[in-house]
Parts: sequence; structure tokens; C-alpha cells
Amino acid sequence: MQGSFWQTLLGALDAFFAGVVRFLPGLLAALLILIIGLLIAWLIKIVVRRALAVARFDHFCDASGVSQVLSRADIRAAPSRLVGAMLFWLVFLSFLMAGMSALEVPAISRLIAEFFLYLPRILAALAILLVGFLLANFLSRAALLAAVNANVPSPRAISIVVKFLITILSFAMALEQLEIAKTIVVAAFVISFGAVMFGLAIAFGLGGRDVAKRVLERQLKDRDEPRDKDTLSHI
Amino acid sequence: MDDTFLSDDVRDQIKEIGEADILVGIPSYNNARTIGQVVRAVQAGFAKYFPDERTLIVNSDGGSTDGTQDIVRTASVADYRTILAAHPIRGVHRIVTPYHGVPGKGSALRTVFAVAKGVRARACAVVDSDLRSITPEWLDLLLAPVLHQGFDFVAPLYHRHKYDGTITNSIVYPLTRALYGKRVRQPIGGDFGFSGHLAADYLEHEVWHSDVARFGIDIWMTTTAITNGYNVCQSFLGAKIHDVKDPGVDLSAMLMQVVSSVFALMETHTSTWKDVRDTQAVPLFGFEYTVGLEPIHVDVGRMVGIFQAGARDLSPIWERVLAPATFAEVRGLAATDTTAFRFPPGLWVRTVYDFAAAHKGKAINREHLLRSLTPLYLGRTASFVMENEHAGSAEVEAAIEALCLEYERMKPYLVERWETA
Repeated sequence: MQGSFWQTLLGALDAFFAGVVRFLPGLLAALLILIIGLLIAWLIKIVVRRALAVARFDHFCDASGVSQVLSRADIRAAPSRLVGAMLFWLVFLSFLMAGMSALEVPAISRLIAEFFLYLPRILAALAILLVGFLLANFLSRAALLAAVNANVPSPRAISIVVKFLITILSFAMALEQLEIAKTIVVAAFVISFGAVMFGLAIAFGLGGRDVAKRVLERQLKDRDEPRDKDTLSHI
Repeated sequence: MDDTFLSDDVRDQIKEIGEADILVGIPSYNNARTIGQVVRAVQAGFAKYFPDERTLIVNSDGGSTDGTQDIVRTASVADYRTILAAHPIRGVHRIVTPYHGVPGKGSALRTVFAVAKGVRARACAVVDSDLRSITPEWLDLLLAPVLHQGFDFVAPLYHRHKYDGTITNSIVYPLTRALYGKRVRQPIGGDFGFSGHLAADYLEHEVWHSDVARFGIDIWMTTTAITNGYNVCQSFLGAKIHDVKDPGVDLSAMLMQVVSSVFALMETHTSTWKDVRDTQAVPLFGFEYTVGLEPIHVDVGRMVGIFQAGARDLSPIWERVLAPATFAEVRGLAATDTTAFRFPPGLWVRTVYDFAAAHKGKAINREHLLRSLTPLYLGRTASFVMENEHAGSAEVEAAIEALCLEYERMKPYLVERWETA
């Protein structure tokens, strides 16, 4: 009885130590990967920040309106520092996942494999959002300038509508990329887009019936008999 | 010679012609209505003023589909006696060719310069193909200063309606004058005379794939001649009347093209203009006379309305471009009603200088930047029209001179803004 107890205890201890011995190299490898990852992530952050400073990235963000949006969201860091920090965490997280996979725990390995499979989708969604944001800003400003210079009524409303439509489109595309509630996103986009267009049509046709009438009359009149326009030559 | 862009046919024609003393280039694109008259005026000018010279007309066409090229080939003066000239013994050579390269007047003139170099022309001129007011005398006025007086570049001087040419009068002339120190009144006139030597020099510049080739050739020719130290003069040509322009031409796009060309040249020649403090008049040829001009209709209320819409909706852009004091003053103007509306010259000069600095510093997308200038320009133009409603042409010219002096006085401000942009 006593012998059996000691055998069981020693067996358990053997198994524990064998487990520890099996686990230790994995743990050490994980720690090493983590430290290397930390160093590489830090290096990448520094290099990217310097490269962006040379490329006048902050200036570009100021010019394209990115800085203003960040500032409105109470993010005070310079865009180049922000990109550096994002890359740092992305690289560090990747190394963290690689380190954890060195532990060879099946559940963690499965999770990590899924993370790495999903990572390109996250990056693609972020890229879509960024391009969509820049495009929305650029085109809404172009629409505003064109409307002001052509003396079109309510230029700001036109600009807001352009920005809103492009933003909705880019959000829908990003969510579709992330495969989050795909059908709901597509349906929501179609409904929102349709609602905006339908709303505009109703607002213009019913709410602004008189304005619509005047605009159409002016268009048709211009076609038939041009108004007394400026005849000065600017050049 | 880098004439690889010329077609084999043109190179063969150059060989056949050999040498020519005088060359006149006519860039064209669908100008069948007017180009015949322009070619006849050039032929008459050759017969009357340069009967002993070997002459050549080069039509550099942008792919016209209305028979422009055929008209150039066949147009001729019916009876030389009517212009008091003898029938020319030598005849006039003609080269009619489509140009190669990016579409635009610059590419058309590049072909003219290359032909001028190929035939070793001593004096050249370019005239627009949509002119209705060209006379044989224009040829004498554009070519004789080069041929007989030793000048390299002849800019045109036209008589225009007091409200006409507002981009030239409020931006291009005063700014070019203040920058480079030469008082060339019509730097983007379009009809120029120049020496064969200068034509060859133009060809050497690597600008033929840029906006210069598309739309900025006129100011580029003038600025290059001035900054490279060529002898520059101007000739009084009388009235300039074009064929009726397309009413759909967008003012904002036109302003953007002109101003971007001037601002781009400012970047190229920064070291030249930074130290220029004084301006000098350039010699003027031709007999000045007054011309009866068509009345012009200007809708001042619409212009002020666009300015006010700009002040209301484009403030976030203007705030990033203009100095704080200038921005505050501009915003203040928007509250004024149309009849009392005035855009002071000093404020306008600071506005233009701020835009030039913002263009250099790429404060925002350059196309957006320049399009946001349109309401300010219309505000200044409306003010100019109201200020000079009862003024004669001499008084208007005095007002433009005062604006030029303001540009010159404020130049240190430009240098300061430029360096910090």
C-alpha cells in the first residue's frame, strides 16, 4: 500500500518534471522570439518614423485633412508617430503569436493559425478605409470648389452628400472584407444608399418643388436663349 | 539637332527648303473659319515688308477635322496690288504638318522651333490661328525688331477694352513684372516675335512633356527670354480680336492653368527673382493709337455673389493658405453689400503672394488650391470694374500701374512667405 503510494507520487512527479522539461525549451524559444520581436518592432518603428519624416508624411496628412480628423477624434500624436506605433504593435503581436505557437499548445496553435489567416483581411480593410477616407475628403472638396465656382446653390450640402456616400461605400467594403455579417452589410449599404438618393429625390421634388421648377426652367431657358452672360475676356 | 519628334516628311521638306530668313508659325486646331485670313495676312506682310527675304509659313496642327490644313495649303492673296506690294518673286514656302507630343499649343510651337532651327531662320514669329484683327503690319512689328534692331524677343502690346484681360492685368503682368524686373505688358499675349537663336534655345529645355507643352507656353516663352538675359522689347499691334470663344470654357480651369504656369516658373527661377528689386521699361515699337472696341457686359452682382459664397464655404481652405491678418480682412469683405464692395489692391497682392507661397509649400492639393482662388479673383475683378466704371482707358491703365507698384512694394513680403513655405 505504502509502496504503491510512493510509486504513484514519484510517477506523478516524473511526469510533471518530464512535462516541464518538454515545455521549457518551448517557453525559452517563445521568450526569445518575443525579445527578438520586440527589438525588430522597435527598429521598424524608428526606421518608419524617420522615413516618413523625410517623405514629409505629416505635411501630406495636414494637406489631405487626415490630421484634422485625428485631432477631431482627440488623437494629438503626429500621424508619422501613429503609423510607427501601429506598425510596432502589428509586428510585436505577430511575433507574440509566433512565440506562443512555439509552446505547442494545440488550442493556442489553432487560434494563432486563424489569426494569421485573418491578418491580411484586417490589413486590406484598413487600407480600404484609409483610401476611402482620403478619396471622400478629396472628392468632397473638389465638389465644394466646383459648386462654389459655378455659383450653384448650397455647395456645402453637395460636398457633404459626396463625402457621406463615399464614406458609407468604403465602410461597407471594409466590413465586407472582414466578413462581418456579410449579407447584413450589403443589405444595409443598399438600404442606406437608396434611402439617401430617395430622400434627395423627395426633398428636391416635393420639399423644394418650387426650386426644382425654377432650376429646370432656367436650364431649359438657357438652352433656348442664352442669358446675358459676362462678355469680358479674362486673359 | 534633336528633331526626332519631327516626321520624316517634315525633315524632307526642311532639306528641300534649305535655309529661310523668316519663319512664321501658326499653331492651329479646328480653325477653318479664321486661319485663311491669318495666312493671307502673313503672306501680305511678307510681300510688303520683307520682299527680299526667304520666307516660310509653318502650320503646326493638332489634328483638325474641319479642313484647317487644306485651307493653309491653298490660301493666297488674290491681288498683291491691293496691298501696295509687288507680287513676290521668291514665293512663300509652306510646311503644313500635324505636331507630335502631348496635345497643346506648346507641342505645336515645339515643332515650329525645330523647323526654325532646321532652316536656320534669323527671325521668327508665332501668331494665333483664331485672330480676326491680324494685319500685314503685325509681321513687320513682330519681325523687324529682331531682324533690324537686334532684339531676341518681341512681346505684343494690344489695345483692349478697359475690363478685358483681367487675369493678365491683376495677376500675370504685375506679378511677372515684380518678379523679373521687366515691364512686359502682355506676357501671355500669344503672338510673339523671336530670334532663331532663341528658338534653338527654347528647344534645349526639357519642358515638352510638362504643362508648358499643354497650356503654359506663352508665359514660359516670355519668362525664359527675360530670365536668360535675352534682349526683350514689345510692339504695339492695335486691337486683338479673336474668333468667338466657346462659351462653355470654365473660368476656374482657365485661371488655374494660367496661375499654375506662373507659380511653377517662380519655383524654377527662384534664385533669379529673389534679388530683383527694381523694374525697367522695355523698348516699345509701333505707333500707338486708340481703337474703337465692342462694349462689354459684366455681371458684377454675380461675381460678388461667388466671392461671398467662397467666403462662406471655402474659409477652411483660405484659412490654411492666407496669413491670419489677410484671412480676417478677406472674411470682413464678405459682409459688404454689392454696391459698396471693394477689394483693396494691397489685400489682393497679399492674397496672390500667399497663394504663391502655399503653391510652393503644397499646403493643400495644388488643383484645389488654385480653384479656391476663383472666388477671390472674381471679388477683385468685380471691385476693379466698379472702381473704374466711369474711368477712361488712361485712368484704368494708371490704376493697373498703381497695382503693379503695390506688387513691387510688397515683394519682401513674398520673399518672406516663400522662404517659410
